[in-house]
Amino acid sequence: MDTTLLLIIGGSSAIAFYMAWSIGSNDVANSMSTAVGAKAITFKQAVLIAGILNFVGAVFVGSHVTDTVRKGIVDVTGIDSHVLLLGFVASLLAAAIWVTLSTWKEMPISTTHSIIGALMGFGLIAGGTSAVIWNKIGSVVASWVLSPISGCILAFIIFKIIVKLIFSKEKPVKSAKIVGPVIIGFTAFLIVSSLFLKTSLSKNINISDIECLMIAGSISIIVGIIGIILLRKIDDTKTEDYMTVEGIFRKLQIITSCYVAFAHGANDVANAIGPVASIIPLAQGMDIGGTVEVPAGLLALGGLGIAVGCMTWGRRVMRTVGGRITSLTNTRGFSVDFGAATTVLIASKLGLPISTSHTVVGAVIGVGLARGLEAIDLSIIKKIIISWLLTLPVAAGTSIAIFLLLSVIF
Amino acid sequence: MEEKKVHVRAPVSDTFRRKSPFGQLFEHMSKVRECINTLHKGLTKYYKGNYNSFSNVASQVSQLEHEADLIKSNIRNHLPKTIFMPVDKGKFLWALREQDKILDHAENLAKMLNMRHTKIPKELQVDFIKHVDLVVKTVQKMENAVENIKDLIETSFVKREREQTKEYIYEVHAFEREADIKKYEITKGIYKLEKKLDPMDTYHLLKIIDWVDDIADHAENVADWLRSMIAK
Repeated sequence: MDTTLLLIIGGSSAIAFYMAWSIGSNDVANSMSTAVGAKAITFKQAVLIAGILNFVGAVFVGSHVTDTVRKGIVDVTGIDSHVLLLGFVASLLAAAIWVTLSTWKEMPISTTHSIIGALMGFGLIAGGTSAVIWNKIGSVVASWVLSPISGCILAFIIFKIIVKLIFSKEKPVKSAKIVGPVIIGFTAFLIVSSLFLKTSLSKNINISDIECLMIAGSISIIVGIIGIILLRKIDDTKTEDYMTVEGIFRKLQIITSCYVAFAHGANDVANAIGPVASIIPLAQGMDIGGTVEVPAGLLALGGLGIAVGCMTWGRRVMRTVGGRITSLTNTRGFSVDFGAATTVLIASKLGLPISTSHTVVGAVIGVGLARGLEAIDLSIIKKIIISWLLTLPVAAGTSIAIFLLLSVIF
Repeated sequence: MEEKKVHVRAPVSDTFRRKSPFGQLFEHMSKVRECINTLHKGLTKYYKGNYNSFSNVASQVSQLEHEADLIKSNIRNHLPKTIFMPVDKGKFLWALREQDKILDHAENLAKMLNMRHTKIPKELQVDFIKHVDLVVKTVQKMENAVENIKDLIETSFVKREREQTKEYIYEVHAFEREADIKKYEITKGIYKLEKKLDPMDTYHLLKIIDWVDDIADHAENVADWLRSMIAK
């Protein structure tokens, strides 16, 4: 290896780490803000758990999603490899800057959209309008509408079910003891099936979809039975003992939060290391067309970046989602988490473009519409939506500017 | 000078995390509770002719009224159009306004009584004490109704909790009515004694009974606004 190559790899890895850090600091709110907002766990516990799970998710399951970022947004066939290299660096930096800015302003944005916007900007300047794969951009636009609305609807339904089956009953705690295990079972089903249904994990251990659903089903039944045993001891004689009901959901909420953190690490590490995974073969003079194995070290670097991001600046966005929009209790927080996780699972299996950040915000509104919240601050929601709409153009603009600057220098 | 300190604005970071409007309504209500309890004890002594500690009571009531005022204005100032609540915001604010009026009247009563110590005629003493008991009970039932809003929100307005709140509201009406009846009884009693009494005493007695009764009226108004707030 010569020094230029080392410099390129070192420099791009540093930028990738910065991007991973910004992703961690912004997106940790998706998984943990409702749990922290509902006081199920403290902030310190949240960032620690989120950091570890993000890292694990990134390192063990993160390698399969890098292709979109590499080839899905910009049609790379007509572009010179030197230009391409600069472009990826510029895009990565631009996306990271926008995410950092949003985190500083405490706005939960989609980091995926940020990198897509940045790549789009580079594609426009490097190859003209024909170089950008507009379908992908269209899917981002669709996500603005689709994610919040589906999150909203699902969280609304889930919260209404909790009210109908538990709170409106004569003895809420007794009903919670019956409904609780069922919900625990469903949660287990959701987690297992999203881990193994059509993912790289299922390919690795070679199980089909039906097998996967069967496994998920049986695990959920077992977990449900364990739930019955655990909930058996709770005293259910009092009529208006809502704290006990909240206590049951408090534990469930922690589990769903952990799951979302793990899934986030698995899905979003690609946004940081995807471009780098393309830069390295380019710098070595290889073609981008072939599939490259993502080096394990790079995955670990991305995972570490996300984990550090969670732990350092994670509080900022968490404060917005978990406190400034509204204050949540455990049942509400669970409805939001469960609604968001289900939306993301179903959408990703159907191939629909969904952003977790958008879904979580939509889910909070959904619970509010179900008359479940004391007060929602719509002015903050408005600001958040504006930041979503700004993501694409700002990331694209910054990317273009950085790209032009780099072209002048190199 | 001491009191001005209370008006100092919270640090900017805290204003971001607005307290929930309901939480503050309960906070305001606890001030009402404290104030009415203090007044109840003080008034009973006053009616029995013990004026020693009444100026203390008056200043306590006044202090509580001031504290509650701050909570009230904080709710009003931080409830802009963009806050979305599960109940009608206008009705919520009316309930708050009426709840605050309880304190205004309590303060007025305490101050006025402190200015002139009027002896309650022996014949009416028991009725006066019974009347203030009824008024306090009205307020207590109203407090129960307000507190139950907590459960209503927790359960997202299920029927059982709605009925529970309504139950308290009915009781508020019942006690307010009893207090009214008592008030007219006492007024009649005062007129019967008017020949014996000093005219200024008569005037002040009539006023006292009115002032005390006003508190129950406003408690009833709170209950009415709650009723309309939780109506489907």
